[in-house]
Amino acid sequence: MAKEGMGGGRGRRSGVVTSAKGRGPGRGFWLALGLIAVLGLGALGYVASKPKVTSTAIDPTLPALKAEGYLMGSPNAPLEVIEFGDFECPGCGQFATITEPDVRTNLVNTGKIRIRFMDYPLPMHRNTWDASLAAACANEQGKFWEMHDALYANQDRWNGETTNKPRPIIAEFAKGMGLDMTKYGSCMDNETQRAKVQSHLLEAERRHVTQTPTFIFGDQMVPGALPYDSFKKLVDDALAKLPAGAASGAATGDSAVKSADTAKSKAR
Amino acid sequence: MNKRMLVALVALAGVFVALYLTLYKLGYIGTLACAVGSCEKVQTSKWATFLGLPVGMWGVGYYVAVLGMAIAGLTPALAESRALSRALLGVTAVGVLFSLWLTYLELFVIDAICQWCVISAILATILFVSSWLDLRDVTALLHETATAAAERLRDGSFGGGIRNTSEVALRAVRGEAEER
Repeated sequence: MAKEGMGGGRGRRSGVVTSAKGRGPGRGFWLALGLIAVLGLGALGYVASKPKVTSTAIDPTLPALKAEGYLMGSPNAPLEVIEFGDFECPGCGQFATITEPDVRTNLVNTGKIRIRFMDYPLPMHRNTWDASLAAACANEQGKFWEMHDALYANQDRWNGETTNKPRPIIAEFAKGMGLDMTKYGSCMDNETQRAKVQSHLLEAERRHVTQTPTFIFGDQMVPGALPYDSFKKLVDDALAKLPAGAASGAATGDSAVKSADTAKSKAR
Repeated sequence: MNKRMLVALVALAGVFVALYLTLYKLGYIGTLACAVGSCEKVQTSKWATFLGLPVGMWGVGYYVAVLGMAIAGLTPALAESRALSRALLGVTAVGVLFSLWLTYLELFVIDAICQWCVISAILATILFVSSWLDLRDVTALLHETATAAAERLRDGSFGGGIRNTSEVALRAVRGEAEER
C-alpha cells in the first residue's frame, strides 16, 4: 500500500501520463456488459423453458423387435412400453427408483401397460456389462426384476467410480434374493447370457437409441428419466391412438405436467 | 479496453455458464439421461459436488466475485490500486487451479468430457492471464506516474526545496532504494 500512495493514489494525476483507468469505464464497456447479460439471460431462459420431454416419431418401416428383453405385466395389456436402460446410468437409476414404483402401481398392476426392458450397456460405463450379465443370470432363475431393482437401488455400491470388481458386490445381491448361487456363479463365470445382452444392445442401435433411459410408447420414442406425470401422459397419448375399445383411463396427468414445467421456467 | 474490463466481461459470461451447469445439476434444465461423452456422466459423478454444493454453484460464486472485483477496480478510486490487482490475481489463480483439477478428473478419472465445463475452464484461464497482465499494467502505470511527477519536481517546476525528496522518490521508483 505504501508504494501505491507514492503513485497516482493521491489524486494528483499529472498531465503527462494519461490513464484510461482514471476516467472509469466508458459507455462501450457498459454496453458490452449489458449485451452479455442479455444474451446470457436469454440463452438460459430459452433452455429452461424448452419442453423437458421431447418425443420423436419412430420410423414406421423399422421391423418389430427381434430381441426379447424382459417383460413385466400382463401380456394382455393394451400397450407395451419399452425401456432401453443401462444399469450404470444415473438417469436410469433415477427413473427406476423414483418414477418406476408409481408406474408399476398405477399402470402395470392395473393392466394398462406392460413394460419390456432392454439392456443398452453404454461404452463409458465400465461395470455395466457385469450388471447386465447378472440381471440376465438372475432372469434364468425368474428373478430379473428383483436384480434390476437391486442394481438400480445400489448403483453407488458397484458402479465404475466405486470399484473395479463389481461382481462380488452384485453376487451379494443375488444371494440376498435367494438365487441358487451355484447356477448363478457358473452363469456369470461362463458369461452364458452375453449373447442375450448383445441382442438387446443391437436392438437399441437398430432403433438409433442414443441415450439411456429411452422409452418407446407406441410410435413415439422419448429419452430421459421421465417424471411420473410425463410418463403417464405419454401412456395416455399412446393409448388414445390405439384402435377404439382397447384402452380406458382418464388423462389426469396432463395439466399437472404443464404447470410443473411453467413453474420451473419461471423459477429460473 | 483495459484488462479489468476484459476480466469483467469474461467473468459475466462465466456467471452464465456456471449458472447453466448449476441449474442443469439441480434438474431445472432437461431430464437426466446418459449418452456417450455427454455432460451427464460428469455431472452425476461424485466429483460434481464440492463441500456439499454442486461444483457449478461454486463457479457462480467465483465468477460473481471476480466480476464484482473487476467492476470495483474500474471506479476512479480503485483504478490504480495494485492491491486490487493482486487480489484479482490471487482469486483467479485459485479458479484456474480448481478448473485444472476438474479437467484432470474429467480426462483421467471420470473418462468423459463436459463441453460446458471445458468452456468454464477456458474462461478461468483467460481471467487468470488477464489479471496477470492487469497487475503488470497497473504496476507500470504507477511507475510511470511517479517517475513523471518526480522528474517534474527535480526539474524545479515546484521550486528547489523539494529536489531532495524528488530524488528519493525517483530512486524508489527505479527500485534503487525502498521508500520509507
